[in-house]
Amino acid sequence: MGKLKTYGLAILTLGAIMIGNARAEIFPYTYQTHTLDNGLKYIMIPMETPDLVSYFSIVRTGSRDEYEPGHSGFAHLFEHIMFRGTKNFPGDVYDEMVTRLGADGNAYTTDDYTCYHMTFTSDDLEEVAMLESDRFQNLDYDKAEFQTETGAVYGEYRKGRTNPYSVMFEEISDLAFDKHTYRHTTIGFEKDIKAMPQMYDYSKSFFRRYYRPENVVLLIVGDINTGRTSSIIQQYYGNWTPGYQSPQIQTEPPQHGARSRVVQYNGRTLPILDIAYKGPAFTADKKDFAALEVLGELAFGENSDLYKRLVIQEQKVEFVTASFQKTRDPGLLHVISMIRSEDDVDYVRQLVFDTLERYKNQPVDPEKLQELKSRETYGFLMNLDTPSNVANNLARYVALSGGVGVVDVYFQDMQRLTPEDIMQVAKKYFAEQSRNVIILEGAQE
Amino acid sequence: MRQVGRLLVIGMVLLSMNVIARGGQSVSDKQTVLVPVQNDPTISFRIWFRAGSQNDPAGKEGLAFVTASMLTEGATTSRSYEEVLAALYPLAADYRSQTHVEQTIIAGRVHKDNLDKFYPLFTDAILHPAFEREDLDRIKSQTLNYLQNSLRYSSDEELGKAALYHFLYQGTPYGHEPYGTVQSIESIALEDVRAFYQRYYTEPNVVIGVGGGYQSSLVQRLQQDLGQLPDHTVQQPGPPQPRPIHGKQVLLVEKEANATAISIGFPIDILRGSREWYALALANSWFGEHRNSSSHLYQVIREDRGLNYGDYSYIERYPNGGSRTKPPQNVSLRRQLFEIWIRPVPNDTRHFVLRATVRELQRMVEHGLSEEDFEITRQFFSKYVLHYAPTTMARLGYALDDVFYHVDGSHLENLRTITPDLTREEVNRAIRKYLQFENMKIAIVTPDAESFKEALISDEPSPIQYSTPKSEEVLDEDKLIMEYPLHIKAADVRIVPVEEMFEE
Repeated sequence: MGKLKTYGLAILTLGAIMIGNARAEIFPYTYQTHTLDNGLKYIMIPMETPDLVSYFSIVRTGSRDEYEPGHSGFAHLFEHIMFRGTKNFPGDVYDEMVTRLGADGNAYTTDDYTCYHMTFTSDDLEEVAMLESDRFQNLDYDKAEFQTETGAVYGEYRKGRTNPYSVMFEEISDLAFDKHTYRHTTIGFEKDIKAMPQMYDYSKSFFRRYYRPENVVLLIVGDINTGRTSSIIQQYYGNWTPGYQSPQIQTEPPQHGARSRVVQYNGRTLPILDIAYKGPAFTADKKDFAALEVLGELAFGENSDLYKRLVIQEQKVEFVTASFQKTRDPGLLHVISMIRSEDDVDYVRQLVFDTLERYKNQPVDPEKLQELKSRETYGFLMNLDTPSNVANNLARYVALSGGVGVVDVYFQDMQRLTPEDIMQVAKKYFAEQSRNVIILEGAQE
Repeated sequence: MRQVGRLLVIGMVLLSMNVIARGGQSVSDKQTVLVPVQNDPTISFRIWFRAGSQNDPAGKEGLAFVTASMLTEGATTSRSYEEVLAALYPLAADYRSQTHVEQTIIAGRVHKDNLDKFYPLFTDAILHPAFEREDLDRIKSQTLNYLQNSLRYSSDEELGKAALYHFLYQGTPYGHEPYGTVQSIESIALEDVRAFYQRYYTEPNVVIGVGGGYQSSLVQRLQQDLGQLPDHTVQQPGPPQPRPIHGKQVLLVEKEANATAISIGFPIDILRGSREWYALALANSWFGEHRNSSSHLYQVIREDRGLNYGDYSYIERYPNGGSRTKPPQNVSLRRQLFEIWIRPVPNDTRHFVLRATVRELQRMVEHGLSEEDFEITRQFFSKYVLHYAPTTMARLGYALDDVFYHVDGSHLENLRTITPDLTREEVNRAIRKYLQFENMKIAIVTPDAESFKEALISDEPSPIQYSTPKSEEVLDEDKLIMEYPLHIKAADVRIVPVEEMFEE
C-alpha cells in the first residue's frame, strides 16, 4: 500500500458541515442499513480511511436483561466467555488467529448492551466476519474454562471496588430502584459474582436466549466496499438461527418520596454527593433527552453559574457535574459533586436543589442556549474522525434504538429546543418525590 | 483534574507528512513540528516546553505540574478564569496541559470554523498567565486531594506503579512523580510558580507542534507570537543515573485491601529509534503487550489460572495504563525502564503470583522466544502498531517525540517497516542484552505486610488453592512455581504505611 493512501484521514466530509444550517442531517457520513432474514441488522458506514475497518458487534443485552434474582453480572461475564472459542476455532486457535491479524480488539458491557469491537486492516474483513460469526453462533466452553473466567471477573470486581465511585454507583442504584434491573450495576452484586462458578448450566441458557441474530446489530465502519461487505455478512451470518427471548424485566413503579442514604467507604476520600432523579427512557420520538442534556450542561457544566460559584469562587467542591446517561428504560439523572469539607455537604446539596428549582421557573438565556447547541453539535462531530471513534460514538444510539437514524433526530431536536422546553423537562423530571441522594464518606484518619 | 490523563490522545496509524521545519527568519529559528492533513477540518496544537518534574526545585516537587496547570486552568492578564471558560465554551474546544518528567505539553484542538476565536485564548494562556492566588489555591487543593485520597486509596494498581517509580529513581531528578508530594505541594507559593514560568517558559525551550487542516500563515503567526517569550536558554539536568540494583529489593506499601497490586521494574539503557529497540519492543509485545490477551504473562496468570484482570510489561513509561489501551505520547524519558504490571490478585496468592512472574521473566531471558512465538508476534505487532495513532493529535504527539529521541525519520514509520524485517535472533539477542531477572525493584500494595515480608525472606513454598478445577498441566507447573526461589534478603524489604506514601 502506498504511504499517502495509508495516511489519509476520514473526516473530509466533516468540513462541509455547517452548524445550524438548513441541512436536515447532522451525521456527516452516508450509511446503509440492511436486515437479514433471520433478523440480524447490519449498518455499513464507508469512510475514507484507507486500510482500516472497525467492526462492532453490538448485542442489545446488558445488565438490564439480568432479571432473574441471583444472576446479576452474567452479561458482563459473557464479555469474557466469548473469547473462549468454538469447536471450529477453540480458544487458543481463536487467540492465535486474532493475534496474527494484529487487530485492536476488545469488548465492554454496559447496562443496556454488550459490545465486541475490532479494528483491523481492510484486507482482513472476511476473516474477521468468519471468526466473529462463528463465536456468536457456536460458542463452546467447558465448565473448567467457565469457572476460570469467573475468577477473572471477581478479580475485576475487586479491582474496581477500591474506587469510591464504584461503591457510590452500586449504592445509588440499589437505593433508587425497587423492581427494575437497573438496581444492580453492570458488574453485578458481589454475592452473585461469588456464586458464578456454580452457574455453568445457567450461563448456557443465558447465551441461548440473548445471543441471537434479532438481538444483534453489526456496525461496520471504514474502508469497506458495501456490496462485498453485504455478501460477506450474508455468507457468514445467514444461517444463524433466530430465537431471541425477551427478558421479563419488571417495570419500576413510580417513586413516591425522596430517599437518601449515607454510605461509608473503606478508603479515604473527600465526601461525594450523588443526587439522582428518575429520568425517561431514551426514545427517538421525544425530545426530552435532548432537552435534559442541554439542561445538565447549562445548570452544572463548566460554564454554569453553579460551577463558577462552587469550584472557582467559593472553592468548596473539587467538581460538580451532571451525568444524564441515555438508557433503554427509565434510568437515573445524576448530579455529582466531590466536596472539600463534610461541613459543606448540606450547603452544596441545597444549592443543587435551588439550581434545579431555578431552571423550573426561569427561562434560560436564549443566547446561552444557542451557544450550547453549537458546542454540543461541534463536539459530537469533532469526535467522528476515525472508524473506531465513529463506531464508539454511535454504539449506544444503535444499541438503544437499533439504528443510526436516531442521531439526526436527536441533534435536530436539540437545534429546535426553546427555553420553554428546558423549563418543561426541569419540571417534569426533577421532582422531590423521585429524588435519591447518596452521601459517600471516607474512612476517618 | 484536567491535566493528568485527559489529553486528547487515542490510538494511531502511520505518519508520513510531518515536517520538521527550521526556518531562518527571526521568528522561525525555533523548532516547529508540523503534521499537515489538509482534509482534516480540525486543527491540533501541541506546544512542548522542555520542563517537567525533573526541573522541580528540591522541596517544591510538583512545581512544574502546578505551573502548567496555572496556565491552562487559570486566569490570564486580560481574562478571569471564568471568562476564559465562558469564551471557550461555545467553541467546543479547550486546551489542557500535560506535565511529565521531562516534558510539559500545552495541547488544544479546535474546528477550523472556530480558530479565529480560539487562537487568542490559547496563546494568551501561554503568554500572559495572571497567576492569581485563587487559581493556585484551587489547583493545589485538587492536587492534594489526588495525592491524599485518589492515589493512596482509590486505585491500588496506580499506587503500586507510582511507588515503583519513586523507589526505582530515588535520589535522582526522576525520583518523584509529576504531582509532587503532600508537603511540597503545600509549600508552593505564587512566587515559586512565577519563577518557574520565567525560567522555563522561554523561546529557546519551546517546540511548536501544529497538525490538521491549518494554513501556513497560522504557523508563522504562532512562531511570531511565541517569539515573545523570553530568549534565555535553560540548563537541563543530565539523564538520571539510578544506583545499581543488587538483588530483589522490595517495597511493601501496607494498606488494608482485598487484593494485592504488584509492580516490578529496573532501568534499561536503550531508547526508541535504534533497530535493537524495535527488537526489544517485539519481545516485550510477546511477553506483556498492554491490555492485550496475546500477552504471555496474561495467559499464564489470568487465562490459565484466573487470578486477576490482566498482566502486562513495558520498555517505556506508560502512565495511566488503566485508562488507555495504546501508548501515550510526550511522556518521553532519556532513561527508560523495563516494567511489569500485575493487576490486583487475591491476597493469598500474592507470593505465588510474584514467583510466577519472575519465573516467566527468567524463562524469557534464558530461552528467548520460540520460532512459533516469534513468528506470531511479528505478524501481530507489525499490524497492531497501525492502531497507535489514527488521529492527527496523536500523530503530532509522536512527531514531537521523534524530536525528543532524535529518531532518524519517524518512529511510527520505523515500527511499521522495521518490525516485519526483524529476525528471531535479533529479538532474542536484545532480550539477553537488556533484560535480566536477578536485579530489580518490586513495589507491592498489600495488607498484612509484615507476614508477607517473613514469607518472602524465608522463601517458603507458596502453594495455591483454586476454587475451580485446573488442568493437570497447570497444576504440574504450579508445583514448580510454588517453590521457585526469589532469594530476597531481609535487608532488602521495606514496609511503608500507605499514609506515608507521597507525604514528603
